[in-house]
Amino acid sequence: MSIMVGRKAPDFEAPAYHKGKFGSVKLSDSLGKWVVLCFYPGDFTFV
Amino acid sequence: MSAVADKYPVFQELGVDVYSISVDSQFVHKVWNDNELSKMVEGGVPFPMISDAGGNLGKIYGVYDDKAGVDVRGRFIIDPDGVIQGMEVLTPPVGRNVAETIRQIKAFQLVRETKGKEVTPSGWQPGKVTLNPGPDLVGNVWKVWNPKDNK
Repeated sequence: MSIMVGRKAPDFEAPAYHKGKFGSVKLSDSLGKWVVLCFYPGDFTFV
Repeated sequence: MSAVADKYPVFQELGVDVYSISVDSQFVHKVWNDNELSKMVEGGVPFPMISDAGGNLGKIYGVYDDKAGVDVRGRFIIDPDGVIQGMEVLTPPVGRNVAETIRQIKAFQLVRETKGKEVTPSGWQPGKVTLNPGPDLVGNVWKVWNPKDNK
């Protein structure tokens, strides 16, 4: 599956840390809302 | 990531769910939040910090660097139908411009609200002129919009 604007974002479910708790995020739970996904190289990196 | 967290209230106003993703474990996310990010953003990171151990999500989204073993700086704007409207991918040394992400979301929201009857020219900001695509606009953009309008 290739990533392309105008096409569906691949759904996923993954573990997450959120406000003091461990849980999980399922992208499709945000259907009906706008989403910003921000990948970044790593915690404790400088930028 | 603190820059995104700092603007979280704006994302909330726009009805946007924000998720950050790196290959670090959720345990490291916690320590980073508690020991550093919370010193830059009051209350710490307000959105879920996703763990992409192994880079599987990064691979799916085309942002996993298998030589470095990390997800590079990829940012995706997804609409309420789950469709990717915007993406930007940077190598690690240069950070994002969160204001530009917010500008793009506002533009995509306007296009969606008008069902595409209005589109936004380069550098558009809320309140600035939009364009109405159609036969009458062909060859006539110069009458309604000029690049210098962006100033």
